[in-house]
Amino acid sequence: MSIFDRSFAGFRRGWMKTSLLPAISLLLILPGSPLDAAEGTKISPAPSTRADRAMALERQMSPAEWLAATTPRDPALGDLTDEEILRLGEVMYRDGLLPSGEVMEAFIRGDIEVDSTAFSCSSCHQRGGLGSVEGGVVTPPTNGRKLYQPYRRPPSLNDVADKMGRYVYAKTITERPAYTRESLKASLRYGIDPAGEIFNDVMPRYPLNDRDMAILARYLELLSSEYSPGADPKGFKFATIVTDDVSAADREAMLEPIRMFVAGQNQQVAMYKDFLKFGYTPTGDMKYSFRTASLSVWDLKGEPETWRAQLEAYQQRDQVFAVLGGISNRQWRPIHEFCEARRLPCFYPITDLPVVSDTDWYTVYFNKGYEQEGEVAARFLKRRAEIDSATGILQLVQDSPAGRALAAGFDHSRQDLREPAVETLILDDALLDDPKALAALVAGKHPGVVLLWADATILPHLPLLAESLADPALLFVSSTALGKATTTLPEKIREQVFITYPYRLKPYVGDEEGTGFLSRIPIETTFRSFGDRRIATRTATMLNQSVLQGLRLLYENLYRDHMLDVMSMQMDQTVPDYERLSFGPGQRYASKGCYVIQLGPGPEPELIPRSPWVLH
Amino acid sequence: MLLSFSCLALLLWGGFTPSPAAAAEARYQRSVERYRAPDVELVNQDGDKVRFRDLVETDQPVVIDFIYGTCTTICPVLSAGYVSLQKKLAKEGRSVRLISITIDPENDTPRVMKDYLERYRAKPGWDFLTGTRADIDTVMTAFNAYIPDKMSHYPLNMIRNPKDGTWVRLFGIMSSKEFMGEYKEVADQ
Repeated sequence: MSIFDRSFAGFRRGWMKTSLLPAISLLLILPGSPLDAAEGTKISPAPSTRADRAMALERQMSPAEWLAATTPRDPALGDLTDEEILRLGEVMYRDGLLPSGEVMEAFIRGDIEVDSTAFSCSSCHQRGGLGSVEGGVVTPPTNGRKLYQPYRRPPSLNDVADKMGRYVYAKTITERPAYTRESLKASLRYGIDPAGEIFNDVMPRYPLNDRDMAILARYLELLSSEYSPGADPKGFKFATIVTDDVSAADREAMLEPIRMFVAGQNQQVAMYKDFLKFGYTPTGDMKYSFRTASLSVWDLKGEPETWRAQLEAYQQRDQVFAVLGGISNRQWRPIHEFCEARRLPCFYPITDLPVVSDTDWYTVYFNKGYEQEGEVAARFLKRRAEIDSATGILQLVQDSPAGRALAAGFDHSRQDLREPAVETLILDDALLDDPKALAALVAGKHPGVVLLWADATILPHLPLLAESLADPALLFVSSTALGKATTTLPEKIREQVFITYPYRLKPYVGDEEGTGFLSRIPIETTFRSFGDRRIATRTATMLNQSVLQGLRLLYENLYRDHMLDVMSMQMDQTVPDYERLSFGPGQRYASKGCYVIQLGPGPEPELIPRSPWVLH
Repeated sequence: MLLSFSCLALLLWGGFTPSPAAAAEARYQRSVERYRAPDVELVNQDGDKVRFRDLVETDQPVVIDFIYGTCTTICPVLSAGYVSLQKKLAKEGRSVRLISITIDPENDTPRVMKDYLERYRAKPGWDFLTGTRADIDTVMTAFNAYIPDKMSHYPLNMIRNPKDGTWVRLFGIMSSKEFMGEYKEVADQ
C-alpha cells in the first residue's frame, strides 16, 4: 500500500464519520457531473476500472448475453430437459433436497454441518434469487442474469463498523467479476468467488456430486431469467377480481381506489416525460419509479366451481403481473388455487373466507378471516384462570361457510394448545328458528362455555339460552358474523358475552409520542364499526403495500416471486384498520391480532377490550 | 474546476466503498455486562407460561439469543450455532440451557416456535419464548438489545455466569469453536 493509499484510506474513514451530511448537501446543489458521481456511474477519475465495473452493475444483462453465457449445455446434465431441471433444481434450491430425495449436505462457518432443509438456498437468497438486505446482512443475488455479469454490492453506510462494532458481520463480498458455469460450481463447493475472495462464513458450502451440481447450476441460470408475464420496463398490467355476489356499492368501494392508483401512476409517467422534454436529467434509478399501469377487472359469474375456467380465460386473454385486491363474499379458495397454480401474486383481497395454509405462497391476505376469530377464542379460554379441564365447552356451529370457518379456527388452535377437542353441534335452520328447543338442547349439556358461531339470527335467542344454563356460562360470538346487529346484544347478558373483534381499537394511528412522521392520526373505533367491511380503506392500504413498498423495490427485477420476496422483508406498519401489519418470508396473513371485547351498557355501547391485540 | 469535481467524486466514491482490510478484523465482539433479567411472564413453544427471571437466574450457565421463526438471514446462523453447541456438549455427556427469545411476537405462536425447533432438531434444553410485544420489548431493553422492528436485528448471544450473575455479551457471528470456547470459559470456571 502506498503512502497515498494509506492516507487516502484514513481520510476516507474519517470523512465517513464526520462529514457525510455536508458532503451530500453539497452534492445536491452542484450541477451535472458530481450528481452522477454520487451514483458512481459516470465519473472516471483518472483511469478507474471501478467506475467501469459499476457501469456493468447498472446495466441489466440482455437475453442474448444471458444465452451466450449459459451455452453450450453442460454435459453433466445428460438428457435432462430444462423443465425437469427446473423441477429438480427447485426442490434443491427451496427445500434442500437432492434429486435422490436425500438431504443436501452443507457446511457453514467452516465447521458446522447444517441440514439444508432448515437452511436452504432460498431461505437467504429468496425465491426469486435476487437476494435480500436485512439487519445489515446483505445476501447477494444468485440468479444467472446477475451471476454471469460483474457485481458490486450496493454501497451501504453499514459497511463502517460503529463504536459498538455493530455491522462488522455485514461484510459479504463487495465486488467480483462475472462468474462462469465452472467458477459458479467451484464457489458452491469451496466458497470462493471468481476473484479468489472467500465467502462470508454464513454461506454454506455444498459437497455435491457432478450431476447434482450441474442441476443446481442450471437451475440458477434459469432462475428469474425472463421478466414475468404482465411486466416490462415500461409498465405493469394488473387485474382485480370481483365475484357476482358482491353488491354494486361494495364493488365500487373496492374498484375506486385502484382506479385512482392506476390513473395516478400514468399521470406521473406523463409528468416525467414532460420533465425529460424540458431538459431534466434524471438520476440513474429514477426510471424505475415511473412506470405505467393498467387494470383489468375480472368479473366472475355463477357458481364457484366455474370460476377457475373463467379465470384461466381471462389470464389467457391478458396476462397480468399481479392481482391487486379483489372482493368476494364467498370462499376465496377457487381464486387462491388458480393464483397458486399460475404462480400469480394476489395482494390483499377483501375476504373473510381466505385459504389458511402454512405453505401456499401466492396470495397475501390481511388476516385469516373468520378462522382468526375462532383461534383467538381458543387462546382466550386457555388463558382464563377460571376455565379448567372440568369446564364443559360446547360449540354451536351454524351450517354456513362462516360458521364452519370459525369452528375450524377454534379447533385448530385448541389442537395447537394441546387441549382436548370440544363437543360440537351443527345448528341447522330448524334449530335456529326454535329458541326453546335450542335452549333445551344446550341446557342438557351443562356447558360452562358456549361458542355461538352463527350470524345475527341467533341474537334474539340468547337471553333464553343464557337463562337455561345453571351457572352463568360464558358465551362467545363473532362480531364479523353478527355484523351491525352486534350492538343490539341484550343488555342483561352483556357481562356474559365475549365478542371476537379483528380490527383496531386504539384510537389513533401513529407513535405513542406522536411526533414527526408518526404523529397521531385519530381513528375512532366505536359500536358503529360493527359490520363495516372497510373495503375502501383496506384497498388503499393494499395499494400502499403493493405499490409503495413492493413495486418501488423491484428496480429492474420484474419477477413475480421477487415482488413477493421484497414485500415480505418490510418493516411492520400501523394502518387504519389493524393495530399492526407485520411481514416476514413466507408470512401470508399480515394482521396477526384479534381482540376479545365486551360491550358496555346502553344503545351506543363502549367497546371494552378483554384481551391484548395478540394473545398466545 | 473539472479536476476538483473529479477529486470530490473520487473521495465520495471512496467514502461509500468499504475497506477490505476491515473485513479481517475481529469476527465478533466480547464484553462482560451486568444485566438483570426482567420478571415478565412469557410463553414457551409448548404454550406454557414461564417466568423469565426464574428460567434464567439459575445455578447453571444460560445462553440467550434473539431470533424469529421466519427469519432468513441471521437467525438460521445463530440457531445452527445452538445446534452445534448442543451436539458437541452432548458428546461430552453435558447439557446446556439455551433460550431463544422471539423478536416477532405477533407471528411466533407456540406452534411456529415448536416447528422451528423441530426443523433444527433441537434437543430438550433449548426453549423458544414469545409473549406480548410489551414484555418482549422489556426483555430486549434489559439486555441492551432493543430494536424497534425485527427487520433491523443483529446477531447477539449472551451467556450468563451463574457464579456472579454477569453476562458475557457476544456480538457478531462466531464459529462453533469460538462459541464453544466462550461457553466453556463461563461454564468451567
